[in-house]
Amino acid sequence: MKKFLWLLLFALIVLVIVYIPASMPEYNPPRDYIDLEEEILEAFILAKDSSTIQLPEGHFLFSQSLSLDGKKHLTIKGMGMDKTILSFKGQQQGAEGIKITNSENIILEDFAIEDAAGDNLKISDTDTLTIRRIRSAWTGKVSTENGAYGIYPVLSTQVLIENCEAIGSSDAGIYVGQSQHVIIRNNKAFYNVAGIESENSSHVEIYNNQAYENTSGLLIFNLPGLTVFGNDVKAYNNKVYNNNLKNFGVKGSIVSAVPKGTGVIIMATQNVDFYQNTIKNHKTSNLSVVSYVLFAADQDPEASSLSAAAEAQGIRGINSNFEQDKAYNAYPGNIYIHDNTFYNNRALPTLSNDFGKLWFFKNGASIPDIAYDGILPKGTKLQDPELKICIQNNGDASFAYLDAEHDFEAFSNDLKPFDCSIK
Amino acid sequence: MGKLRITLRLLVVLPLSILMSRCVSNEKSVPQAKKGKLDTPLLTLTSNEKQKLSDYGFFKGKLANLEPNDRVFPYTLNTPLFSNYALKKRFIYLPNGKTMTYKSEDVFSFDEGTVLIKNFYYPEDLREKTSSKNIIETRLLIKEPKGWKALNYVWDENQEDARINYIGKQTRVSWIHSDGFKKTAVYNVPNNNQCKNCHLNGKEITPIGPTAAQLNRKYVALSERLKQLEFFNESNLLKDFPEHGQLPKFAQWDLADSGNLEERAKAYLDINCAHCHQPQGSAKNSGLDLRFSQKDLRKRGVFKPPIAAGKGSGDLQYSIVPGQAEKSILLYRMSNNDPGVMMPEVGRSMVHQEGVDLIASYIENLKVESSSDIKNP
Repeated sequence: MKKFLWLLLFALIVLVIVYIPASMPEYNPPRDYIDLEEEILEAFILAKDSSTIQLPEGHFLFSQSLSLDGKKHLTIKGMGMDKTILSFKGQQQGAEGIKITNSENIILEDFAIEDAAGDNLKISDTDTLTIRRIRSAWTGKVSTENGAYGIYPVLSTQVLIENCEAIGSSDAGIYVGQSQHVIIRNNKAFYNVAGIESENSSHVEIYNNQAYENTSGLLIFNLPGLTVFGNDVKAYNNKVYNNNLKNFGVKGSIVSAVPKGTGVIIMATQNVDFYQNTIKNHKTSNLSVVSYVLFAADQDPEASSLSAAAEAQGIRGINSNFEQDKAYNAYPGNIYIHDNTFYNNRALPTLSNDFGKLWFFKNGASIPDIAYDGILPKGTKLQDPELKICIQNNGDASFAYLDAEHDFEAFSNDLKPFDCSIK
Repeated sequence: MGKLRITLRLLVVLPLSILMSRCVSNEKSVPQAKKGKLDTPLLTLTSNEKQKLSDYGFFKGKLANLEPNDRVFPYTLNTPLFSNYALKKRFIYLPNGKTMTYKSEDVFSFDEGTVLIKNFYYPEDLREKTSSKNIIETRLLIKEPKGWKALNYVWDENQEDARINYIGKQTRVSWIHSDGFKKTAVYNVPNNNQCKNCHLNGKEITPIGPTAAQLNRKYVALSERLKQLEFFNESNLLKDFPEHGQLPKFAQWDLADSGNLEERAKAYLDINCAHCHQPQGSAKNSGLDLRFSQKDLRKRGVFKPPIAAGKGSGDLQYSIVPGQAEKSILLYRMSNNDPGVMMPEVGRSMVHQEGVDLIASYIENLKVESSSDIKNP
């Protein structure tokens, strides 16, 4: 009888944990809007090459996107991210806040962009770009209605994003897509679905950033079906912690498939050096190294139509036909994870996703610091040179090799096969 | 009895109130903003563009009469783009000794200094084209050494002149429609970057209208006697004009004698959609190619699933389902006014009902010999 009561109590606790709606955080800075729309729009459209536009202090409200096209050597400067605010709340024309296309040598610094219908700052096909001390935010309670990407350079080269903040994106806060030669440093990202994401980009350095209170902290992704693929990423000295926020991504988007409580995910990327990072307090896992197969398999049958819908809004979705993309490598390889600090104050894994449940059944109900799905291309074996995963010198970090391909048959906590210092 | 009434009332009120609260929460709240003032201008305008339309000297006499000067030639197209029912008066200015060059498929090429002039206006009454008119804007495409430049001039209320506009303008327009009823619309004058939405081909700005097929017709304002192309050829303004053989010709979308249903519908889709929906256009990622010259039915949308339509697909499967207009995404988007759904994306704020009717009957009458070939290429 007593046993039964205990069981009942346990069941109740589980129910409560699973069903209590998580309260979403809010960002509510005081705003007093000024209308300088015509003047600022004119400055963007007529900006001369090799000039600087100095925006004044104030909270400026816009009904339409601000766009730059085909500009060279142009600087747009505010008086500081707390002083010059460009708000697109309730905008009626255009989806982006600021949209920059086909430009060269552009510097954006010292202002904030808020509440665009779509992306706050989208830059495409631009060469040599600096985004410095810019804050992207959606105000109010964090919600799926928020725009997708905060700071979003895509198909660009020589990109520097530094000392920026990204808050409340319903996809990724700082998101670099299909770009080359990228530095992301000294930034903060919180209350987003994904804090910082490098997608299909190569020669990327991500360091001295803080990602916290997102659904997932840092994503290093390589996705199929695009013209550009990513590899060669270094991530170091980052602090990634407490990313346990409920996933509020748009259904069908790739990040909506990311479980909450994931610190860092390295997916289907080659040549990643991941070191001297501090990763703490995640309900699902601190760091996971996975193949795209795991993502594609995890989707529900409706997801493909949903992801098509998401793609339409410029949001990356899941592509279940990835095997048709011959140029694409769906498996992580040459990954080096060393000298990091892992810690977890979460005693029990979350039951809200399959990984958490897996830890309950296979991992003694404890959350591994580092997880590797172990899914391999046909005809290869673990630790073949092009598939090598090296994990060493990470203190007493715990580890799980999932063997996800074979129903977790060879599930193991043994790090030895992955310690490349052992000959 | 009373209890039943309360229950009934609840049954009605509850779903209604849920519905209402949803509507309210979906509505975008636009905060208030008070007009600000700049201490110093954000940029010093050192524009060397002509500030007024009259500065160009394209027209003689009262500007609003649009009476062309020498070397300014009126022209018209067989099937024009729909722009909220605005009428258009088009002119081409060719400097002395400058010409255009004939191309059988593409837009003609034009010598440096050429200006294409397009005036958008509403007559008081659409049924009487000569009734007094209200000109909204005049768009110029100017051929410079580096390529085409787009400039826009917005007319003053008093119709005396038009002033250069870079940032666009929203205005309300009204007229007596062809059915005798008054119509009003929100008219968006595009800003300079929006011009590129339609006129960008690859990375270059290009004209859209002046192709052989579009110009191949008579226009009394240009010549009582000759067709437009013949007139330009005889006036030595058109190089490479083929003296023999069949010239391409678009049907006039609203003139039954000018072509069969398919020809009129394809001409309409070409001018209204194909500047973006073609391999070099901004909608190339959609895979839809609506150029008149495109013969591949699947590329024209028949049984073509959407690539990136999102909610624009209206939960329909294909761009065009032959015989079933109501199941065709193309028609759904033409009939819609929601900014996230409507096609074209810019240039209209109301549905072109006559155009929708044309395309609907084209789809209804479209016959595909072997649909399975198209479905599974």
